[in-house]
Amino acid sequence: MSRFDRSGLAGAAVLAAAALVAVLAPLLIDAESLDVTRVTADAWQPPGAGHWLGTDHTGRSVALLMAQGTGTSLFVGLTAAVLSVGIGTLVGIVSGHFGGLLAGALLRVTDFFLVLPALVLAIALSTVLPRGLGTIVLAIGLTSWPSTARMVRAQTLTIEARPFVERARALGGGHVHVIGRHVVPSVVPLVLVNATLAVASAIVAESTLAFLGLGDPTRISWGAMLHQAQLHGAVPQQAWWYLLPPGLAIVAVVLAFTLVGRALEAVVTPRR
Amino acid sequence: MLELRNLSVHYGPKRVVSEVDLTLAPGQTLGLAGESGSGKSTVAMSVLRLLPRTARVEGEILLDGDDVRTMSWGRLRAVRWAAASIVFQGAMHSLNPVRRVGDQIAEPMRLHGTHGSVAELLEQVELPREKARAYPHELSGGQRQRVMIAMALACGPRLVIADEPTTALDVVVQAQVLAVMKRLVAEQDLGLLMISHDLSVLAETCEDLAVMHRGELVERGRTREVIANPRHPHTAALTAAFPVIGDPAHRWAEPAPEPEPLLQVRDLVVDYGRTRAVDGVDLTIGRGEIVALVGQSGSGKTTLARTIMGLRKPSSGRVIFDEAEVGRTGKALKAFRRQVQLVLQDPSSALNPRHTVFDAVAEGLRVHGLADEQEALVTAAVERAELRPASLYLESLPHELSGGQQQRVVIAGALVLQPRLLVADEPVASLDASVRGEIVALLLRLRRELGLASLIITHDLGLAWQIADRVAVMHQGKIVEQGTVDQVLLTPSHEYTRALLRAVPQV
Amino acid sequence: MRLAGRFGGAALSLLMVAVLGFFLFRVVPGDPVVSMTRGRPTTAAMQAELRAQFGLDRPLHEQFWSYFTSLLQGDLGTSFTFRRPVAEVIGERLGPTLLLVGTATLIAVLLGLWLGVRAAWRRDSAFDKVTTGVSLTLWAVPTFWLGMLLMMVTGDLFPSRGMRDTDTAPDFVSQALDVGHHLVLPSVTLVAVVCAEYALVMRSSLLEEMHAPYLTTARAKGLRDDLVRRRHAVPNAVLPAITLVFLRFGLVVAGAITTETVFSWPGLGLLFYDALTGPDYFLLQGLLVVTAGAVVVMNLLADLLHGVLDPRVKVV
Repeated sequence: MSRFDRSGLAGAAVLAAAALVAVLAPLLIDAESLDVTRVTADAWQPPGAGHWLGTDHTGRSVALLMAQGTGTSLFVGLTAAVLSVGIGTLVGIVSGHFGGLLAGALLRVTDFFLVLPALVLAIALSTVLPRGLGTIVLAIGLTSWPSTARMVRAQTLTIEARPFVERARALGGGHVHVIGRHVVPSVVPLVLVNATLAVASAIVAESTLAFLGLGDPTRISWGAMLHQAQLHGAVPQQAWWYLLPPGLAIVAVVLAFTLVGRALEAVVTPRR
Repeated sequence: MLELRNLSVHYGPKRVVSEVDLTLAPGQTLGLAGESGSGKSTVAMSVLRLLPRTARVEGEILLDGDDVRTMSWGRLRAVRWAAASIVFQGAMHSLNPVRRVGDQIAEPMRLHGTHGSVAELLEQVELPREKARAYPHELSGGQRQRVMIAMALACGPRLVIADEPTTALDVVVQAQVLAVMKRLVAEQDLGLLMISHDLSVLAETCEDLAVMHRGELVERGRTREVIANPRHPHTAALTAAFPVIGDPAHRWAEPAPEPEPLLQVRDLVVDYGRTRAVDGVDLTIGRGEIVALVGQSGSGKTTLARTIMGLRKPSSGRVIFDEAEVGRTGKALKAFRRQVQLVLQDPSSALNPRHTVFDAVAEGLRVHGLADEQEALVTAAVERAELRPASLYLESLPHELSGGQQQRVVIAGALVLQPRLLVADEPVASLDASVRGEIVALLLRLRRELGLASLIITHDLGLAWQIADRVAVMHQGKIVEQGTVDQVLLTPSHEYTRALLRAVPQV
Repeated sequence: MRLAGRFGGAALSLLMVAVLGFFLFRVVPGDPVVSMTRGRPTTAAMQAELRAQFGLDRPLHEQFWSYFTSLLQGDLGTSFTFRRPVAEVIGERLGPTLLLVGTATLIAVLLGLWLGVRAAWRRDSAFDKVTTGVSLTLWAVPTFWLGMLLMMVTGDLFPSRGMRDTDTAPDFVSQALDVGHHLVLPSVTLVAVVCAEYALVMRSSLLEEMHAPYLTTARAKGLRDDLVRRRHAVPNAVLPAITLVFLRFGLVVAGAITTETVFSWPGLGLLFYDALTGPDYFLLQGLLVVTAGAVVVMNLLADLLHGVLDPRVKVV
């Protein structure tokens, strides 16, 4: 078994665990234990018997917050990635397959958004739109598609230059036939790989937006926890139990997606 | 000077070269022939220990009495290029794209402390000295290959190994490059080990010939004798694959009476931006007739074929099929394409690697909405293309098939629509010599049994001699000469045709 | 021809930046004045006055025209929170950001490219495994979190807020040392994240070249392994890597925003944070136009540089 297989499997295991937590947390945690007005524990408690990851500035259990935040981070990551990869794939295939003005314009727009700092655009979007989960998903999804579009376009062009596509055309195949039978099947594996990596960067982007205070104020997410930690001075108080878990969770999940993506990539594009 | 004793090379459990013995004396020229995968390039690379780390080499490789296998790295580096140098195939990729060719030629001289000048080396290979300042992409294919030769001679080695030095070059350019090599080898009394799949190229340059087959050396002797009286059946297959123009034994096509026209091209012009790729071409293909369209690369023959197929828009002119002009609307083209089918050069890339043989052959039926009896039609077409029984192949993926089988699948994919004309672009150029004859025979049989006409586009005059009824010679977008095979190839009237015929290496 | 095309493309991109900057903050649902005054006691009359002051009561095309003509003269409007011209506010913050981003980029490029080359050349060696592993992990680390961690771990070793102390002696050397001292943590944070990306890019770029036939030619000539790498492989691999480095300049910008926020570094990034917490749309719009414009210009530079370095690209 190669190194990639092993790290890919490890990544998959981490993701499975995270998904399990995300599904179970809302079922097992009752709302009261996370309600600021109802909690009874003291603020800034280090990890101990009662709260094994300590408490935050309001006395809520960090462990419970962590569990509750898993779902938000994964949900935003997945939906934003689907949105971004979807747009990217569509733009990529259209601009790669069809020539002419439309393709030129699409390419121009893709290149434009490719160089613009996506985070800056995402910040601007989430500032002007009403706060909420949907805004975050839109802000990330609408700003991160160009790299997928570029890659899909390149793959489309490569495939279309291959003699078997010329053969299909010579057989009388039209756009639908060429795209459906030849382009899409060859693009799908790459898109899957890309989607996995897109989830990883979407989760980082979500945490950054939440850290900047642009998240959904009604939901707990790992980035929002770090926002609170920064706001209420977890660093000067040396409250490592409030700082470490959300960050480590982000790193673990993002790294897991990356490793799975790279393992898939190795399968899709075999070594020369 | 060079002696290989019992040389074997393994990649993992796979043995690619087994127990090869070869000797080469100073001043001797030896050709090493074989098909792809015969291990001939591996032998070449092993001489300077350039095989990848995963290769396991056994036996002895003596270069001037020293075993290359056991040399220290320092000694090996000193021997490389100074004792023996290599002319690699594909100079485009074997030269560093971002460094001037002059620097690349001078590099080994500086490294090994050899005196000499880049300008002189360039003159030896008949390149102007200013070309030293050029980057590889600024040179033509033939010029790049000359640079490779100049580079190989930079340190005055006594042995030059040439690995397919003229593959991918045009016939005319190939003849020029071979002439340069031949002259330099004779002038400087070099030992030459030349590797090629093309017997005629080796026959042109080498006194001795060795033939490899599946990693083994099957025959070795004087070139003339080996070609005239091959002892090993594989050698015989190789020699048979190179038809001698003018030899009636190599002419497989049966003479046909003047047929009625099936496809007529009238005054066709195609512009590529500002360049005129096809310049007023008239061409007629009769029912059941095989016409060869020959010319160098860049002559416009491929563009002409694509335009006839309707894959490119002509700037002006007409294509008449079966006495009706072919329309340019999607519907008219689609109907036309049921009658005319394309067979491409490289079968491995003409098949989608993800599609099974069944999918590939059935593609035409699907495009034309012929869903009924798909299975029966596909099976019949596959068997027509001599893949029998079809059931053995239908579920295979292209990479599981040999090159010849792949080309048969491509042909089956064309046959399934019951066309009346095949347009075949270099149908045998990327096939191994032994398979080539089978595909040629198949095309002729299809003509005999189905009355299928063909337009064969090729650079290979031998193929034209073998298969065609008529030949059209294309040069700079124009058809400069056309007529029956005997007329054009035996008594050419145009100067360009004569030049082409002169460039063909003689076996 | 190519040169003219590049400049034309960049000019078109800058125009698109200007258009995007305008419409992003105008066409979206909601009244900008309402959201900017959110949480503050305002009457309808005050809001109407604000609208008139910022020209928001005029038709959209008029607004755009006046925005666009002022933009051409370097006027980015007036900040809502600072009550001063946006261009002036941005100008003040430019220096610290250039210092931070410049230092970090320089270190990250050199270190990242070196790491990438070494890792690729000895593929699957211990060095490669460690470099790739660390880079992948760092790539997964949110910049701001890394900053917070560094801050907590180093304790009082380095100053963690601002760019200089108020009580430092006014002479140049003391001031420079003080700024340098403050610069350590923010630049380490930024380098760590950006450098990881560069190392991965350089590694895969060199791996692409590893099987190139011209490397076999170089070996056959008798070149030592490190010369094959230095003279032949790296010059080829570094070209696409440099392009990618410039192309991902947006990454540095994003990193700068969060890093400056964490360390209260008084640059454009912190200004971004202030503008979005306001929210101050006019400031945000100015910042967007300026950063996006800077990125477009950087890209043009990368393109020109590539034309100079790569003989295969015809400059004229």
